[in-house]
Amino acid sequence: MKLLAKARQAGRGVVRFRRRSLFMMAGSIVGIASLTVLDSIGENTRRETMARVKNMLGTFDTVIIRPGGGKTRGMVSLANVEPVLKFGDAAAIGSEVSEIRQVAQLQNAFDVDVTYRDRQTYPGVFGVSSNWLDLRGDRIERGRFFDADEERALARVAILGPDARNELFGAEDDPLGKSIRIGGVPFVIRGLLASRGAGPTGASLDNIVLIPVTTASRRLFNRDFLTMLIAQLKNPEQGEVAAGKITALLRQRHKLAPTALDDFTITNPRAVLARLTGVSSTLARILSGVAILAMLIGGVVIMSLMTIGVAERRREIGLRRSVGASRGDVLFQFLLEALLISVLGGAAGAGLALSVSMRSRHSKSFRWCSRETR
Amino acid sequence: MIEVEKLSKTHERADGPAVHALREVSFRVEAGEFVAVRGASGSGKSSLLNILGCMDRPTQGSYRLNGQDVSAYSDRQLARIRSQKIGFVFQSFNLLARTTALENVEIPMVYLDGRVDRKKALAALERVRLRERANHYGSELSGGEQQRVALARALINDPLLILADEPTGNLDQTAGGEVMRILLDLWREGRTVVLITHDDAVAACARREILLRDGRLVSDRQVDSAKTLEDV
Repeated sequence: MKLLAKARQAGRGVVRFRRRSLFMMAGSIVGIASLTVLDSIGENTRRETMARVKNMLGTFDTVIIRPGGGKTRGMVSLANVEPVLKFGDAAAIGSEVSEIRQVAQLQNAFDVDVTYRDRQTYPGVFGVSSNWLDLRGDRIERGRFFDADEERALARVAILGPDARNELFGAEDDPLGKSIRIGGVPFVIRGLLASRGAGPTGASLDNIVLIPVTTASRRLFNRDFLTMLIAQLKNPEQGEVAAGKITALLRQRHKLAPTALDDFTITNPRAVLARLTGVSSTLARILSGVAILAMLIGGVVIMSLMTIGVAERRREIGLRRSVGASRGDVLFQFLLEALLISVLGGAAGAGLALSVSMRSRHSKSFRWCSRETR
Repeated sequence: MIEVEKLSKTHERADGPAVHALREVSFRVEAGEFVAVRGASGSGKSSLLNILGCMDRPTQGSYRLNGQDVSAYSDRQLARIRSQKIGFVFQSFNLLARTTALENVEIPMVYLDGRVDRKKALAALERVRLRERANHYGSELSGGEQQRVALARALINDPLLILADEPTGNLDQTAGGEVMRILLDLWREGRTVVLITHDDAVAACARREILLRDGRLVSDRQVDSAKTLEDV
């Protein structure tokens, strides 16, 4: 009863000085809202990075082998790799490294013209083995992928990515069964890929045409070396062990002297992911720092207003004491007023942050996070 | 009612010598007395009133209020005494800003037992003839009206002792007369009234006059020819 009456005095205090209370609330609204929004931006950025990396790699339980000893930057293609990685290497890794379940092969180029009637485009032309879908997580939207028999038979069949399909056929025409020319060689379209969206750099992963790697090698490019191997691990934890064994095997096959450097590079996607999320959590930390600063400024605003308030209300304190309030009662009242203001302000700030976050979820920059949780 | 014995109050100051506001002041006030405390400014009147009102503790000496030695009471115990036994009236009224007359009168009930009785508060306002102004804010009332609200607030918990620090100091003669009339009424009901004043006319209403100089009690006399209110 007594406590309630005292609490009511605190509530009245908030209302009596409503303008000051509002300013103080504004301090905590700004602080809490910026803390929440910036923190969620940081978290979203981290998730987005992860999603994009996953998007590019398909799965994480692989190691990637690329020709060339130096750290090759960017996307490999026939135009920029050393001709050291052979079909035999892929077969040897698959059969001799016990940690590896299967190996996918890639031979690709970006400068090949693809035409359909009078339309022409330059997508990435990817000669891949028939197990590609398993290792990259690509999905066929319509039609089918080519199988091992077609791969052996050097079949001239193609699978179109969404961008290449739009370039050649537009939205209305049905590409399945149609014949296109890749580098002048006719191919029949067997299937259409589902969209993958953007990779880690933000560039589209959809502007591609997939054909059997054997066909690419013998009928199109006339090259006997590969641009990339993707080796799938039986156990995702064994990336480092497998990489060591593959290194030894390839060095032996490539007849490298013990002093010579590797003429290939093995990447463990888990390590890459760890590095990338490390970068984005640094960003998240910086944003959190900014947010905490905003919070601190809000706190200082409240503190100064409260201090001014107490000075102005010294007379009120004297009066309350004279009519029977103890020092504890006065302290209780002022603390409760501060608590009311900060709780109300905090709730309003959280509400504001929530509405900002909801809004930005529909905006472009945030769309990936929701889309990639497929 | 009040027994003070060799009461001293020393204010320690960080940047100078200690100030001896009261030096061994001793006197008794019986229940039902009307006492005026006079003296130049700095003579210790306010320090004395603060101690009598249990707002402050003496540095030395003892203070018995209604038989209880309160000189060593804790803050909480003193707050309890203030709430039950003492009503304060100040020179500057001290109404809470942005608060209605009624709410001002209710405040002492919050600290007594938390039972805020609106009817009682309205009755107190009626008593000072301000019932119709109950929902006005302090800033909408004249000085005299504000002081009457303060009086209603002082008597809401039915105190035995009323302490007034120059209650008419900021008022014109008419408003001051009104306030004195109410104080005299309260005294006639049997309450003890101690008031500080510089005003001869106000002091003349009291039945006893205590004079302080430099923290010492220099004179304590009965006022035989106590005037009636009509003379004020």
